[in-house]
Amino acid sequence: MPATDLRPVDPGRAAEQPTTMQGNQHGSRDIVELQGVERTYSRGKLSVQALREIDFVLRRRELVALVGPSGCGKSTLLNVVAAVDRATAGRVVVCGQDLERATENDLTLLRRRKIGVVFQDFQLMPNLTAEENVALPLALDGRSDPERVLELLARVGLSQRVGHFPSELSGGEQQRVAIARALVHKPELIVADEPTGNLDSGNGGYILEMLTGLRLEEGAALVLATHDPSLAERADRVVRLRDGLIVESSA
Amino acid sequence: MILRSLWLRPTMAHPIRALLTVLGVAIGVASVLSTILASRAAVASLGSDVEVLAGGARLEVTRPGGVAVEDLEALRPVCDEALLVPVVEGAALAPALGDIVRLLGVDLLLDREVRPIELEVGDGSLEAARDAMLLADGVAISRSLADELSLGIGDSLDLVVQARECSLEVAALVEPERFGSVWDRVVLLDVALAQELLGRLDRVDRIELMPRAELELEPFAARVRELLPPTYRIRPASERREEGERMVRALEFNLTALAGVSVLVGIVLVATTLATSVVQRRAQIALLRSLGASSAQVARAVVIEAAAIGVAGGAIGVLLGWVGARAAVASVRATVATVVEGVVAGTVQLNPIWILAGLALGLLASVAAAVLPLREALRTPPLQGLRTQHSDSATRPWKGRVLTLAGLVGAAIVFVNLPPVGDRPVWALIAALCILSTLLVLAGPLVDLFARVHPASLGSGAGVPVRLAQAALEAGRGRAAWAAGAVGMAVGLAVAMTTMVGSFRKSVVDWTRQAMPSDLFVRPLATDTGALAGRIDPEVVSIARRELGDEAVDPFHQSQAYYRDQPILLGGAAFDVVAHEGGVPFLDGRSSREVFAQAVLTGGVVANEPFARRFDVSAGDRVRVETPGGTIAREVVGVYRDYSGHMGRVVLDLPDYLAHYPDEGPQSVSVFLPPAADVSSARTRLATALEGRFAVEILDNREVRAEVLEVFERTFAITIALQLISSVVAGIAVVAVLGALIHERKRELAVVRVLGGSQRQLFGLVLGEALLLGLAGTLGGLVVGVVVGYVLVTVVNLQSFGWSLQFVLPGSLLGTLLIVVPACLLSGLIPAFLSLRTPPREALRASA
Repeated sequence: MPATDLRPVDPGRAAEQPTTMQGNQHGSRDIVELQGVERTYSRGKLSVQALREIDFVLRRRELVALVGPSGCGKSTLLNVVAAVDRATAGRVVVCGQDLERATENDLTLLRRRKIGVVFQDFQLMPNLTAEENVALPLALDGRSDPERVLELLARVGLSQRVGHFPSELSGGEQQRVAIARALVHKPELIVADEPTGNLDSGNGGYILEMLTGLRLEEGAALVLATHDPSLAERADRVVRLRDGLIVESSA
Repeated sequence: MILRSLWLRPTMAHPIRALLTVLGVAIGVASVLSTILASRAAVASLGSDVEVLAGGARLEVTRPGGVAVEDLEALRPVCDEALLVPVVEGAALAPALGDIVRLLGVDLLLDREVRPIELEVGDGSLEAARDAMLLADGVAISRSLADELSLGIGDSLDLVVQARECSLEVAALVEPERFGSVWDRVVLLDVALAQELLGRLDRVDRIELMPRAELELEPFAARVRELLPPTYRIRPASERREEGERMVRALEFNLTALAGVSVLVGIVLVATTLATSVVQRRAQIALLRSLGASSAQVARAVVIEAAAIGVAGGAIGVLLGWVGARAAVASVRATVATVVEGVVAGTVQLNPIWILAGLALGLLASVAAAVLPLREALRTPPLQGLRTQHSDSATRPWKGRVLTLAGLVGAAIVFVNLPPVGDRPVWALIAALCILSTLLVLAGPLVDLFARVHPASLGSGAGVPVRLAQAALEAGRGRAAWAAGAVGMAVGLAVAMTTMVGSFRKSVVDWTRQAMPSDLFVRPLATDTGALAGRIDPEVVSIARRELGDEAVDPFHQSQAYYRDQPILLGGAAFDVVAHEGGVPFLDGRSSREVFAQAVLTGGVVANEPFARRFDVSAGDRVRVETPGGTIAREVVGVYRDYSGHMGRVVLDLPDYLAHYPDEGPQSVSVFLPPAADVSSARTRLATALEGRFAVEILDNREVRAEVLEVFERTFAITIALQLISSVVAGIAVVAVLGALIHERKRELAVVRVLGGSQRQLFGLVLGEALLLGLAGTLGGLVVGVVVGYVLVTVVNLQSFGWSLQFVLPGSLLGTLLIVVPACLLSGLIPAFLSLRTPPREALRASA
C-alpha cells in the first residue's frame, strides 16, 4: 500500500506507479529529510565534491532559504531535494519517499505530483500560452482543471493575459506564470532557485510576496536558494552553505 | 582564425550531425557521379573512345549494311595518297562472361600503321602468334579480358557469334594501357576470320583512310566520294563517335538529371543544417556584432562552414560514386540495351577530372545551400536587439510566398510547352524542378497547418506530446519547413517515379498483350543483362519453315539506314504473315490486318512512333531512306506503338528489305501456329530439327511476355535505386533536423522532465514532431509528385524517346503515406533517444 497520496491512475498508466514508497505524509511532519548526504561529480580523473555531510530537514509549510556564495552547493542541494539529481551517499526522503531506492519512474511521478519548481529564468515553454504553461503539469499527469488554472492566473494578476505567449509578457509576468505553474497541481513542496534573480527590485519584491503568500494559502513547504538578503529575512529558517557544507542553520 | 574556430569548433562539437550532413552531400554527389561513370562505362564502345579505336585514321568510308568488297577496287586511285585499312567490327557473346565482347577484325599486316598495338606472346614467338591469327583461328585478347576469363596464351576462347558457338585460340595478349577501358573486352582478330565468323564475307564494316602525307582532308574526302556509289559516306572518325553518343545521349541525360535530384535533396539537407547552426548561434552572432564584427565577417564564417561540409561531402561522394558506379554498370547496361544493340561495356574509369568534378559539385551544392541561412545570419542584430526578435525568423510574408509560388507554377507551364534541346528534354525537366521547388514554398504553410490549425488539447494525456510537438514545430518553424521540404521532395520524387514507372508498365503490359501474339519466338542467346548478341543464322529460318510451314514463320530483320542524314533502323518483316495474324497496335486505332494488307497492296511501309515523332512523319507521308541498295522512297501506311527502343524504325515487307540488304539472318523469328496446334510439341519439333547446332532460344508466348517485363524491371532498377537514394538523403535530413531541434531545446525538454514529464512523454513529444514533419512533407510530396509524374509521362518521355504512354495514377499513393510516415517516425527514433539523455538537473543547473 503506497503511503503517499498518489492519485489513483487508470490501468493504462499502471506502469507509472511508483515501486518504492516509504513514510507517511499524514504521519510525518517532515517534507524533506536529508541525512549525511554527499554529492560528488566526476569527469575523468577530476572529481568535485559539491555536497558534504548534509543533514537537513524541511518541515511541512516551512520556508527555508539557502544562502551562500556562488558555487557553495545551493543549486546542487536544490537538485537533490527536487528529485532531479541523486545523492552519491546519504539518505534522502522527499514527501515520504526514500529517493535512494526510487526508480526513475518514481522520481518522475514524485516531481509531477508532489513538487513544484520555480526557476530563476522562468523557463516557460515559448510556444505555449500562459494558460497552457500553467496547465502543463496537470496535463503531464493526464489531468485537466481549467478552473484551477484560471483561478491561479487570476491570483497572480494575469487574468487578462491568459492567451499571451511568454514573448508577449514582461519578465515579472513570466515569473508569475511560473509561480502559478509551480502551484497548479497543489504540491507539498516548492523548490525555487533564485526566483527573483532575473528581476528588478520592485518586481522581485512583488514576486516574493506572491510566492510566500500563495504557498501559505496552498499549504506547501518552500525551499529556495537566494543571494537576496531581503528574501532570506522572510524565511522561517536560513541555511548557510560554504564549500558544500552547511555551516549555519538559524531561525 | 579565431572567428573561423568560433564557427568550426561548434560544428565539430556535434560530430553526429556534422557527419549526417556531410553524408547527405556525399550521397548526392555519389549518385550523380556513379550514374555518369556507370553510363560511360556501360556504353564504352559508343563513347569518346571510338576515336582511340580508330587509331591514326583520319577518315572512314562507311555504308549502312557495310562496305562491299567489290567496291574497294574503286578506291585504287587514292591508294598512293592514303593507306586503306579494312575493319570488321561486331559483337559476340562470351558465355563464361555472361556478357558481350567486341570482335575487332583488322588487317594484321597493315593495321600496325594505324593502331600502335603491341602483341604480347609470352614465351612464344611473335611470328607463330601472327601465323596463328592469319592462318588459323588465333585471336589476341586484351589482358583485362584474359584476366576476367582466366585465360592465357594457348587457351581456348569460347564465343557465340551469329547464334553459333565457336572456339578460338588465344594466340596473344594486348595491353594498350593508354587506350583505356574501350579495350577491356576486345577480341582482336584477322579481318578474314572476323568476316567469316560474322557472315560478312562480301563486305567489311568500314575502310579507314590514313593519309600517307599531310593533305587537306576536305578535298581528299570529296575525291573519294566521287569514286564510290552515292550510298557511301566518307567522314571523320569523330562523327561516328558523335553518332554513337547521340544514341544514348537522351538516356544518359535523363539518368543524370534523376541523380541530380539527390543533390537537390542534399542541398536542402545542408541548408537545413546550416540554418539550424545559424539559429543556434544567434546569440553568439549577436555578441560578435556587438563587439564590432562586420556582416562580411559573419558571412565568411557561414560560407566557411558550408565549404567545409561541401568539400568533405564531395570527397566521400567521389569514393562512394566510384564504388556505386561499379555496382550500377550492369543496371545501366540493361537500360542501354533497350536503346542500342551490341554495346560493349568497359570498366569504370575515375580520372582526375571526375574527382575534381565531384569535389566541385559538393562544394557548389553546399555553398548554394548556404544562401538562405546566410540571410538569416546577416539579419541577426547586435546583442541589444536580440531579445525583441523571434528565434527563428524564417517566416515569409504571405504575399511574397504566393508570388513565388505563382512564379514557379507559371515558369513550369511555360517550360513544359518548350521543345526539347536536341534530344534532351531540358526545359521539361526544368519545369519538373520548378514544380518540385514549390515544395520549399509550400512546406512552411504545411508545417503551420499541422502546428497551428486545431491545436491538440493539453487536457488529455495523449494530447500532451502532440501539443508540445506542435509548439516545438512552431518554435523551429523555419527549419521544420526545410526538413518537411526535404521529405516532400523525396516523397514527390518517389511518387513521380512510381507514376512514371507505373504508367510505363501499364503501357508496356498492354502493348505486349497486343503486339506479341506469336506462339513461339526464336532469338539469339542473351547476355546476363538481357542484351541480344548477333543475329540468327538464316538456316534457322529455313528449318522453321520446313517444319512449321511458310505461313507460320515471320523472321524479323533489322539493319541501320539513314533518313534525313540521321541513323535509323530499317526492319524487314513478312507482311503477309503479320497481315494474317494481326497484333501490331497502330496509333490511329486501325487494325493491323487492315494496315498490313494495305502495305502489301501498295508496297508501303510502317513506321514506329519514335520515328514518326522524331521526324514529324505521319501516315500517308512518303519517306526516303538510304540503304546499301540505294535510296528507297515509300509511303508510310501506318504508325505503330513501339516501346522496344527509342531509335526511329521503318519496317518494309521482307522481300523489299532483302532486295536492299544482304541476308545476314534475322534478329528474331516469330512463329504463329494454327489455333488448335499444340505449342509445346511444335517447340519440341523445332528444337529437335535445329539439332543443337545453333545457339538460339525458343520461347513460348508467356515466356516472351514475362521476359519483356523482366527486362522492363531491370531497365528501371537504376531509376528505383536513385529514388531510394533520395529517400535516404531525406531520411538523413529528418534525423539531422530533429536532432538539431532537440539539441536546441535541451533545456526546454529538461524543464518538462523537472515538471514531471515522463521519459515516455518526452519520447512521444519527439516522435510527435517527426510524425508531424512526415505528414506535412508527405502531403505536399504526394500532390507535387503526381504533377511531376504527369510531366514525366506526358512530356519528358515523349521528348526523350518518342513514346506516348497512358497516364496511370499509382494505386500505391496511400501506400506511400503508409511507408513514409512510419519511416519519418523511425528516423525520429535517434533524436528521441538522444532527448532522453538530457538529465533533468540540466534545467536547474543552467538556471542557477
